[in-house]
Amino acid sequence: MNENNNKNTNNNTMSQWYKTAISTAAVAGIFSFVVIIFLFANFVRSSIVEAKQEQELVNLKAEIVKNPDDTALLEKIRQRDLRYRQNLFSRMDFNHKGAHFLLASVVIMLISFKIAFSLSKKLPAPQHGGDNLKEQIRDAFLSRWSVTAALGILAFGAILFAGRAYVAFYEEQAGEVTFPTDEEIAQNWPRFRGPGGLGINAYTNIPESWNAEKDENILWKSPVPLSGRNSPVVWNDKVFLAGGDPNAFSVFCYDANSGSLLWTGDVTNLFAQSEEEPFEVFEDTGYSAPTVTTDGRRVYAIFVTGIVACFDFDGNKVWEKDLGIPDSMYGYASSLTMFQNMLLIQFDQGDGEDGKSKIIFLDGATSRVIREVQRFVPGSWTTPIVAKIGDGYQYITAADPWVISYNPENGKELWRADCLGTDVAPSPIYGAGLVFGIRPYSELVAIKPDGKGDVTETHIAWSAGGNAPDICSPVCDGEYVYSLTMDGYLSCFRASDGEEIYEQDVGDYFQASPSLVGNKLYLLSDSGVMFIAQAGSEYKELAKCELGEKCFASPAFMDGRIYIRSEQNLFCIEKKN
Amino acid sequence: MIRFRYIVIGLAAVLILGGLVRAAESRFPPPEFENGHEFPQTTTPQTREGVFAYIDSIVLLGTLGLATYLALKKRRRKAILGLTVFSLLYFGFYREGCICPIGAIQNVTMSFFDPLYAVPIVVIIFFLLPLIFTLFFGRTFCSSVCPLGAIQEIVLLKPISVPRWLESGLRLFAYLYLGLAILFAATGSAFLICRYDPFVGFFRLSGNANILVFGACFLIVGMFVGRPYCRFLCPLGVIFRQISRISKKRVTITPDECIKCRLCEESCPYGAIQKPAEQWTKEQYKKSKIRIAFLLILLPVLIFLGGMIGKSVKNTLAQMHPTVRLAERVRMEETGQVEGTTDASDAFRTTGVENVELYEQASNIRQSFGLGGILLGAFLGFIIGMKLILVSVWRERKDYEADRASCFACGRCFEYCPVEHKKRNERKQQ
Repeated sequence: MNENNNKNTNNNTMSQWYKTAISTAAVAGIFSFVVIIFLFANFVRSSIVEAKQEQELVNLKAEIVKNPDDTALLEKIRQRDLRYRQNLFSRMDFNHKGAHFLLASVVIMLISFKIAFSLSKKLPAPQHGGDNLKEQIRDAFLSRWSVTAALGILAFGAILFAGRAYVAFYEEQAGEVTFPTDEEIAQNWPRFRGPGGLGINAYTNIPESWNAEKDENILWKSPVPLSGRNSPVVWNDKVFLAGGDPNAFSVFCYDANSGSLLWTGDVTNLFAQSEEEPFEVFEDTGYSAPTVTTDGRRVYAIFVTGIVACFDFDGNKVWEKDLGIPDSMYGYASSLTMFQNMLLIQFDQGDGEDGKSKIIFLDGATSRVIREVQRFVPGSWTTPIVAKIGDGYQYITAADPWVISYNPENGKELWRADCLGTDVAPSPIYGAGLVFGIRPYSELVAIKPDGKGDVTETHIAWSAGGNAPDICSPVCDGEYVYSLTMDGYLSCFRASDGEEIYEQDVGDYFQASPSLVGNKLYLLSDSGVMFIAQAGSEYKELAKCELGEKCFASPAFMDGRIYIRSEQNLFCIEKKN
Repeated sequence: MIRFRYIVIGLAAVLILGGLVRAAESRFPPPEFENGHEFPQTTTPQTREGVFAYIDSIVLLGTLGLATYLALKKRRRKAILGLTVFSLLYFGFYREGCICPIGAIQNVTMSFFDPLYAVPIVVIIFFLLPLIFTLFFGRTFCSSVCPLGAIQEIVLLKPISVPRWLESGLRLFAYLYLGLAILFAATGSAFLICRYDPFVGFFRLSGNANILVFGACFLIVGMFVGRPYCRFLCPLGVIFRQISRISKKRVTITPDECIKCRLCEESCPYGAIQKPAEQWTKEQYKKSKIRIAFLLILLPVLIFLGGMIGKSVKNTLAQMHPTVRLAERVRMEETGQVEGTTDASDAFRTTGVENVELYEQASNIRQSFGLGGILLGAFLGFIIGMKLILVSVWRERKDYEADRASCFACGRCFEYCPVEHKKRNERKQQ
């Protein structure tokens, strides 16, 4: 009896606690609701009434702009502004306090409900353990379907997302060929040292005599407004070159037939715009040493400050991109290269260990960086070549101490050979199935280009010591390789084994690289004299043609014409009938 | 009897309307002074610096240690609940939910991909400490230290059990969330976890209306479904699930031998108690082997397809990046696809940067999302494939066990175990 009484008493006590908890929760809930009503009313008031007040204030402010002397209006604005601010801060304060009340009441409500549920919870009764195998199998079956359904939802969501419209940043050029064919390139002179950068001309009807003083075979002569050591580049009837000084960087386009300056494309020269001292350049490279390049659609130029620019053939600037001033001891001088739609920039700089050097692949049409390939070489002054070797193309670079070949399509390194040194300026060439690189003052090196990785020990075909050039790049006719030093020593090596066939003092100073026209070598000296010599195992001077002006840039050759840039002028030489 | 629908409706009204009202607080334009008053420089609030940051770390270490002690050694639910309340108050309402180890995933990810970003030491501590504790002791961080877990733990009123199969499917969304959070952090797009933290608005008593409603929904669901965020969305929970599978020690339902009384069977609101199961029949085993062989072949296919699908959504994913969004806006304005300008596009134009440079940056970001999309898709394909394999594997269990991966170490099951009570009585008598 007592036991039953105690039980009833306990039940009654529990019931009282339960009721208390529920009542508290209900009160807290009602309080929360009231707070919500107040907050909501405050929100409605602010969004309707104050919005109207704010608009009135804006209108009054617009009015005072028209009547700045209206002091009454000004006072009205002040009063309205003050009232508006007071209302706003009052409302914010109300919201702030309300949020705290709301939190407190929700917490009390939750605690009360938790207590009530705890009091009403019934403990489970002990049961005998059973086998849950069937449940496990059913769970596994349903889980697989559940996961599959989730997979379906994810895939469906992804398909919906994939189909969402997005904004294309560049014009779609579907179906349009955006880069020239190999045949088009071969018929033009689109870059430093012509097609492939080999210094070899596709035409053989090139003038063999001229004299500027006597106006002999000079088709035209046009002044170049800004100096530069870059070479002319020719595409059909247009000749391009670049020039610069402390105040301006420009690209020039000439009519190939008349020599008239068609347009000048100005490029940003940050140093001209700044109040700092003019940018110091090395005299032998100047502000505009790199030769421009073209893909037959646009022309591209880079200057000593690392700014790259692109113009269409009508002279409209398509884009401009600042790569930053290269850390180059003698000033940046590597010329630009095109491969298909890409502009390739050998941006070598620094000491080689700082990781500053890289090859930059830009989309020619847009300047979008397609990729950058870091390379641990110091600053170099060479211009890479693009050569078709076997079934693919190789982009071959030269810097201290590596000749490195890349796949221009994806930027992957193909092979490298440790064979160069010091400050490398002569560019590599490809001929007779070999890549030739020059270690200045020291040796000419021939490399077989079919290796992988570091081929120093395995693919260096030969190296020939002697009077190697420090600026001029070599040229190869398939049987012999010719190199020309700055002080005029022309060396001829057999391409197959590197045996030196002869060394000839031409008798002048040279910075322009030698070119090959048929079986003739064209050597343009600093004094503007073109030495034309027989290519082959024996040196035989055929002609000396004078321009009478200093020349440091390599000439460009087209059908029946030579384009030569002197210090001040651009010459077109053509045999007159 | 309490009518749950009234509670749901009432709280929904409270939280949603409360959120709306809080969100209505507008930023007020500065006054237009006429007396030459100079406005102070706009500054960004500094992160909690110096000794306070380390105090947070010490509190974290202390709570983790205490949580582990209470769950593994002391085995007291009420004490664990007390610590949960403390963590909610300290890490939640006092520290306003930041820094939290869940968000720290993004900081750590970003530090790997952005050479200019130096992850603060405190963030590393907040990231590593819970990981280490989970590796050694199971998910004691989730039990009573995580403020996000704590707020859900507190609001849980009347739990209903989620079928195990449904949980298997829903949990995949947590992997998706983790993958997206890492992708967006790695690309510098956004800290997704922080941006969509459903509870931080409550901790700060302020926030974006959408997020407050989002959080309110979680809390309302959380009154009947135990810890919905932790189980179906938490990216750190996904990592902890895998780590706790190999943890050195972990919570057990019973301190001694299981007597299979089935009292604990329904005690876990998180579905983390696994029931005993006998060995399969030979026929079932054979079928299972064939199925697993098929699923193993399917795994690389899912990875590949996932990668492809991931790649196909790169442009959409890239729109999370502010630069891409800005570039798209500028491009649309440039090409006349939209009229007018936005504050962002106006601000961009004042910088003098060429549009093409912006487009180039955006294109590069899109490219990085191409690779990121492939990796994300492949990751999800792998997870789905592995999930299908794992649910098909037979596991023999003799006793009622806490699921190593799912157990939050909340300690509810202790109170239901007669062996536990017997032990406590024995200790009292000693």
